[in-house]
Amino acid sequence: MANPKGLIGIIPMGTVPKHALEVISDRIFDLLGIPAHILNRVENPSYAFDRKRGQYDAAQIMTAAESMTWHDCPKTIWVLNVDLYIPIFTHVFGEARDGGSCALVSLYRLDSDAEGSPVSEEKLMARAAKVALHEIGHLFSVPHCTDYRCIMHFSTNLDVLDEIPMAFCHYCTAYLEEGVRRAGLR
Amino acid sequence: MDEKLRIMVVDDEKIVRESLYHWFRKAGHVVDMAASGFEALDKLDKTPFDVLFVDIKMPGMNGLELLAKTKEEYPDASVVIITAYGSIESAVQAMKAGASDYLLKPFKPDQMALVLEKVAIQRRQEDRYRYVKGLLDEVTRFDNIIGQAPVMQEIFDLIPEVAQSDSTVLITGETGTGKELVAKAIHAKSLRANGPFIAINCGAMQETLLESELFGHQKGAFTGAEQARKGFLEVVSGGTLFLDEIGEISPKMQIDLLRVIQEKKIIRIGEREPIDVDFRLISSTCRELDKAVQEGRFREDFFYRINVISLHVPPLRERKEDIPLLVQHFLNKYSQETTKQVNRVTDEAISFLKRYDWPGNVRELENAIERAVVLSKGRTLHLEDFSFLKPQKTRSAPPRTLREIQKDYIHEILIQESWNVTQAAKVLGINRVTLHKMIKRYNLQKPSDSN
Repeated sequence: MANPKGLIGIIPMGTVPKHALEVISDRIFDLLGIPAHILNRVENPSYAFDRKRGQYDAAQIMTAAESMTWHDCPKTIWVLNVDLYIPIFTHVFGEARDGGSCALVSLYRLDSDAEGSPVSEEKLMARAAKVALHEIGHLFSVPHCTDYRCIMHFSTNLDVLDEIPMAFCHYCTAYLEEGVRRAGLR
Repeated sequence: MDEKLRIMVVDDEKIVRESLYHWFRKAGHVVDMAASGFEALDKLDKTPFDVLFVDIKMPGMNGLELLAKTKEEYPDASVVIITAYGSIESAVQAMKAGASDYLLKPFKPDQMALVLEKVAIQRRQEDRYRYVKGLLDEVTRFDNIIGQAPVMQEIFDLIPEVAQSDSTVLITGETGTGKELVAKAIHAKSLRANGPFIAINCGAMQETLLESELFGHQKGAFTGAEQARKGFLEVVSGGTLFLDEIGEISPKMQIDLLRVIQEKKIIRIGEREPIDVDFRLISSTCRELDKAVQEGRFREDFFYRINVISLHVPPLRERKEDIPLLVQHFLNKYSQETTKQVNRVTDEAISFLKRYDWPGNVRELENAIERAVVLSKGRTLHLEDFSFLKPQKTRSAPPRTLREIQKDYIHEILIQESWNVTQAAKVLGINRVTLHKMIKRYNLQKPSDSN
C-alpha cells in the first residue's frame, strides 16, 4: 500500500504510555501503509464517568470525539487507559462505528490475563495494536470476519485476541483497500 | 459472522438501540431499529426479519406482548429478549412464550456472539425443516392440482390408472373445481403426452362456430370461409381433446360427435371425403347429464359414449381442509407474479376463508387471493382484506315462502317478549288485534298452552 494522501491521528486521552502509542502507530503503517501521527494529549474524559458502574461511557466519549476535527487526519484513534462500556455490554476493549471518523481503544483490560495476573509488556503492546487495527477496520467499513487468523475476527475474550496474528486476511485486506480509497486516504 | 442476518433492535432507549445497531452493523448484519412494539410490528408487516432483539421493559407494548404477537403473526422470526438483572422470572416467561434466548444486561460481548451463533444455527435448522416440508408438500400436489383431502387423494390415485387407457372420460363437478387441470393431468400421464392437448369451451361458442372449429372447413364452404382450415379434431391428432361444458352442445352436434367417436373419421365442412382422426376425448360438465338424459334433453347413446370412465371433482366446500394449502399455493404464486412480499394470512382470515362457502370453488379462491395480494399494503393478509367476499346464505336451507318466514318471525318475537302480546306487537310494528289474528291464523301456541 503506497502513496498515502492523508494521515491517521492517534490521540492520547488522559495518561497513556507513550510506548503504546508508538507501537500502534508503527503497526498501522506496517499493515495499512498509512502514516499515523501521534497528536497532542487531551484531558481524561471525566464527563463520561458513570458513578453507578464505575466505568466510562464509550458512546459519550465517541460523541465528543466526533465533534472535533483534525486537519489532515480524517480518521482518528483515541487511546485511553480507563474501563469503557456501552449500555448493553459489561465492557468493551474498543469502540468504533461502521464507516465512522473516530475509534476508541482502551488499554485498561488488556494488561492482565483471565486470572488477573499481569501480562508482559510485549503482549500488552500487541493486544493494543490488534484492538486499534480492528477498530480502524470498522472505520473503513470492514465488518467482522469469520477467519480466526484475521484481525477483523471478533474476539470474544483476550485469549481469542492473543491467538489472532497481527494480520488482515486476504479478503479483509481487499475490503480495507477499498475503504481507504473511498475515504480519500489513497 | 457466517451468515448475514436481518436484525431488528426494539428498545425505547435510543442509546441502547443505537449501541446494538452499530454493533450488529459491524458484525456485517442488516439492521433496523424500532422504538416501540407497535413500530416493530409495523416494520415486520412490511419487511421480513430473521431475528428481533427486544427489550422487555417498554411503555405501551412490553417485550413479552411483542414476543407473543410476533410468534402469533410472524412465527418465522426469532426473538431474543433483553432484560435487566433481577428479572429472571420474566426471562423464563419469555422462553416459555417462544423466545429463542434471552440476555441479561449488561452482558459480555462474547455472550452476544454466542446468542447470535445459536440463532444462526436455529435458522439453518428451520431452513432445512422448510426444505423437507416443501418436499412433503409436493406429495400433496399432483401436477398442478393441490389437495390433501381424502377425496382428492382418491382422484390422484385414479388419474394414472385412467391415463393408461384410451377410453373417453367424463369429468363432472361444479364450475371452478379444476376439471381442466384433471384432464391435463390425465393427458400428461398418458401415452399421448407428447401429442397436443386442446381444450374447447363448448358453452362459449355458437353451434356453427363450434362446428367449424371442431371439423374445419373447405375454402368457400360458408360466407367468410376465405381459406381452408383444419378443425381441432384434426389438429389434435395423437393428443387429447378436452371438451369443456359438453352439456351445452346441441343435439345435432351430439350426433356429429357421436359419429366421430365411433368411426374415428371426420368430414370437413364443404367436403365429402372423410379424414382419419386419432385423439382421446375427455369431456367435462357441471350439469347432471344423467338427469338431462332422462328428461330427453341429452342423447343417451352419446352420453354413454363420452362417459366410459367418469370422475367427479368435489366442490371446495366439501374439502375445506385443503383451503390453507390452496391459500398458501396461490399466495406464493401471486407474491411472485406481483413481486409483493405477501407471504402470510392470519389465522382469523383462514378461519373465515374456511367458513366461506366458495360457490365459485377453487377459481373463486384463487381470484380472491390475487385480489387481496394486489391490494395488500403489508406482508400479511388480514380478515379485512377479504371483506369483498359476500356473506353466505345457508346453502342447505330449502327456499321458504313469505308466509313461512312471517310465521317464524312472529313466533320468534313472541318468545323473545315472553308471549306478552302487547309488547310483541310493538316490536313488530303492528297493532295488538292484528297480532292476535296472526297468532290464530298461524296456529301459534304458547308452550304452556300446547301442554
